[in-house]
Amino acid sequence: MKPLKARRIRQRITPYLLVTPTIILVGVFVYGVVNGVLQGFGIMPFLGRTELTLDYYIEALNRNDFLASLNYSLYLSLTSAVLALIGGIALSAALTRVRASRTIQLFNIQIPLMTAHTIVALFLVSLFSGSGLFPRLLYWLGMIDDVGAFPSIIGGASGWGIILVYLWKEIPFIAFYTATIMMHVSSRYGEAANTLGASSLRSFFSVTLPLCRGALTKASLIVFAFAFGSYEIPFLLGPTLPKALPVLAYLEFQNPDILNRSYAMAINGIMALICCIAALAYFLVLQRERKERKSDD
Amino acid sequence: MIEDKQGGEANTSTQPQGREAQGRSHADSRQIRKARRRNHAWVSRVFLIVHLICVLLPLGVIVAWSFTASWPWPDLLPQQLSSRGLVELFLSRQGLGPVLAQSIAIALASALLATIIAACAARALAFHDFFGKELFRFATVLPFLIPSTVFAMGIQVLFIRAGLANTAVGVVIAHTIVALPYAIAIMSEVTVAAGQRLEQQARVLGASSLRTCLHVQIPQLLPGILSAASMVYIISFSQYFLTLLIGGGAVKTLATVMFPFLTSGDRTIASAYGLVFLLSTLMVFFLFEMLLKRFASREVSYFEG
Repeated sequence: MKPLKARRIRQRITPYLLVTPTIILVGVFVYGVVNGVLQGFGIMPFLGRTELTLDYYIEALNRNDFLASLNYSLYLSLTSAVLALIGGIALSAALTRVRASRTIQLFNIQIPLMTAHTIVALFLVSLFSGSGLFPRLLYWLGMIDDVGAFPSIIGGASGWGIILVYLWKEIPFIAFYTATIMMHVSSRYGEAANTLGASSLRSFFSVTLPLCRGALTKASLIVFAFAFGSYEIPFLLGPTLPKALPVLAYLEFQNPDILNRSYAMAINGIMALICCIAALAYFLVLQRERKERKSDD
Repeated sequence: MIEDKQGGEANTSTQPQGREAQGRSHADSRQIRKARRRNHAWVSRVFLIVHLICVLLPLGVIVAWSFTASWPWPDLLPQQLSSRGLVELFLSRQGLGPVLAQSIAIALASALLATIIAACAARALAFHDFFGKELFRFATVLPFLIPSTVFAMGIQVLFIRAGLANTAVGVVIAHTIVALPYAIAIMSEVTVAAGQRLEQQARVLGASSLRTCLHVQIPQLLPGILSAASMVYIISFSQYFLTLLIGGGAVKTLATVMFPFLTSGDRTIASAYGLVFLLSTLMVFFLFEMLLKRFASREVSYFEG
């Protein structure tokens, strides 16, 4: 009787032991984010400041470069997420359609996944800067006359260099995230629809794609949040003005006056808020998937 | 394979054809459908090839630039080759060797840590019911959705106070945190797919939990373990901002050292850095692939024998 009881207790606490290390690490993550956001409200216990104030947020919102930065960041990340979603669906569907071998997947998905964003920025510079390979090709074809006639991707306000970096990285990421489920769905339901007489295009759009909706939404939310919050690419390829939000925040953060950090943290707080909306959408998708799992059982 | 599929479709779509005319129009539409299907495979192949070119062309340009002495405008091909870039990286600039070794060590430590922790979390999510499970599932993806820049600037004070700032250990912890969602996603998939049948069988047959883990669970999960580990390795290896803030310049990794050179004028040096970076990640990836092939084939013979 006794060992059985002990085993039952052990079984009951097992899941909690299994999740503890993750909870500690995610706890550190949340602590860091919350601590940053609180500093934006002027709460810096390490400097003896514990009074909550909205001044920094108000000041940040009133700065004339802030709204331009916010718009610019939203433009970059939304454009990247939407285009990456379209490209990712196409890549995933193409891989499913030709039943890609491991080698094809390696080159189309794994290599882009393995390449750091900063290296992709280097690619873009080598190909599309004023003296890059692409302008050389245009010159050779007689379409431009001189070095510099091609619009440089570095510092351009249109940000297409930045968007291209994200597309190069995230189209394969979305395909990576959805190809497995798409192959599964397609072989299970898509082909059934084909046998019942639907064209493969129709069965893709009315059967396969809707069944992958959850995974696609999650993947594009991740892409949006990443493009919205990352520092390296807009720093390397972005224009002087407007700066992307993370670049603006880090600039304020680096100011030797430590009180100035509160401005940086207020900007971070607004970024975190926007990403929380993305997180909420992600949570809703998870909830729906859970319900679907339950109704499957 | 595609031919097979079309043959299969032709067989399964034979329907009762009572009237002659209907039979013919049915055959026509089948012809059209077949042609269309072939077209789509064609479109898919072209798309994949174009995508492949987009992936491989820049890689080729980087390799070419890193061995180039001069490549003046507007030549399409480099004029003079040299090994200046790589030589300068490893010999003249206080040696890239130690930096590279430190980057690899940090990335391997993060990969080990994150994969073990993710395997535990994935197991809890797959096989156990516990209080707050759905909240936990959501919490594991938070580092995906909240920018690591926000996290890095916010956590810096804590890391300074905990004595983790400017240390490699602190950098490993920070990298593990941001890479954890990827590892958990990959491990969850393989854990659910593996199921619990085999390990329960082993336990029923009297294997201890340690033996079950070593001889059943780990071999079963190995593809996921290696793929999660290589993913975390790559994420850690690529981190610039987080390493800069937590490492504070004292912890040098390839990602932080090469950053200022990437958009500098000296394209040869920038590309040489890029080449070293790409080779270091590719090397580990293929190492893990090889391990997978070796142990996966052993696993199969184990279960068959």
